[in-house]
Amino acid sequence: MNLKKQFKEGLLTQNPVLVQVLGMCSTMAITTSFFNGLGMGVAVLVILTLSNVIISAIRKIVPDKIRIAMFIVVIAGFVTCVDLLIQAFLPDLAKSLGVFIPLIVVNCIILGRAESFSYKNGVAASFFDGIFQGIGYTVVLLAMCIIRELLGAGTFGGGLLGPDLKGIQILPAQFPAKMLTLPVGGFLVLACLIAAMQWALSKSKK
Amino acid sequence: MSNEVKTKEKVDMDPKYIIKLTVTLFVTCVVVAGLLGLVNSVTAGRIEQINIENTNKALTAVFEGASAPEFPEMEIADDLKAAAASAGATLQNVYEAKDGGETIGHALKIVASGSQGNIEMIVGVDGEGAVTGVSIVKNSETAGIGSKVMENENGVLDQFIGKSAADSPLTVGKNVDAISGATVSSRGVTTGVNAALAVAGVMG
Repeated sequence: MNLKKQFKEGLLTQNPVLVQVLGMCSTMAITTSFFNGLGMGVAVLVILTLSNVIISAIRKIVPDKIRIAMFIVVIAGFVTCVDLLIQAFLPDLAKSLGVFIPLIVVNCIILGRAESFSYKNGVAASFFDGIFQGIGYTVVLLAMCIIRELLGAGTFGGGLLGPDLKGIQILPAQFPAKMLTLPVGGFLVLACLIAAMQWALSKSKK
Repeated sequence: MSNEVKTKEKVDMDPKYIIKLTVTLFVTCVVVAGLLGLVNSVTAGRIEQINIENTNKALTAVFEGASAPEFPEMEIADDLKAAAASAGATLQNVYEAKDGGETIGHALKIVASGSQGNIEMIVGVDGEGAVTGVSIVKNSETAGIGSKVMENENGVLDQFIGKSAADSPLTVGKNVDAISGATVSSRGVTTGVNAALAVAGVMG
């Protein structure tokens, strides 16, 4: 087990969004305000860690042929739990994330890590893999939220201070390009981030 | 990932193996279902309470003048449903609006389609059949565009107050002002209000 390597992989060299290009749907759909990004990131982090631990714990007794079905049952179970808990205790977050919480079931990051990591590694390593990959995902979400919110709506930290409150206005209201908070803006911002990441990675390799 | 092409595994039809697969999957499902039941028993009450609170908030908002509002739910007759459907929306619930025990009108929960999905709204109608208020319960309109209508920007929802069957059908651009760029969302709300007026007409 090499924590430092795993951490670097989760955040940079194997970043789930920018390098593995997984979980695109939620990444583009919900990164319109800081609160959404944080909530989604933490929800994925928790589910990913739990499912990683369970899958790695049961990996020896799971027959190879039905492993995907088993993974999905485990993942769907955790996602539903988290969904119910968010609805009960964080209703504002549930309202703004809506269907994207249940959709974490089909988020490729979680199934991808189950198949490529926790099915082959020990419980502790899988636990940290879940945490680090989750952090990698959250950081990218937050970066996208900050960029899209600042340039698209001119605010920062939307939803953090209160459910219906807009963030702090930084750019005067007439400057922001509304387009960036729409789906097309998601594609553009994500593309720029991936390009920057690839550039940085190839530069550091040299 | 290896570049070798794996030889296709022979399908193992050994009954013991198949039983093992079935039992493993079955046990996992039972365990997960048990866990879900546990979480549900903790959260179900709270979720229901939050939903009731949200509905109550929306109900109170459309009868702002009432000092001691109460909203007992009523059964929906088929002709009311038909009236809403003919106006292009779905009637979900009907609440009687009472202020200190006296009936002051009805609150109708109506679902109409917006630009990105359904808009769920509560429309209050008083005893004379005039709209007392519109409040949005649930929507998925585009943030920053359609959401302006949902958030009542420039009083776009308040303009329905006082409208009655005499103004019907309400039409965006004719007797209803839309938010520019959010015509479809504005139309969705207007459809809902038209349906409410139609239902109120049937109720008399």
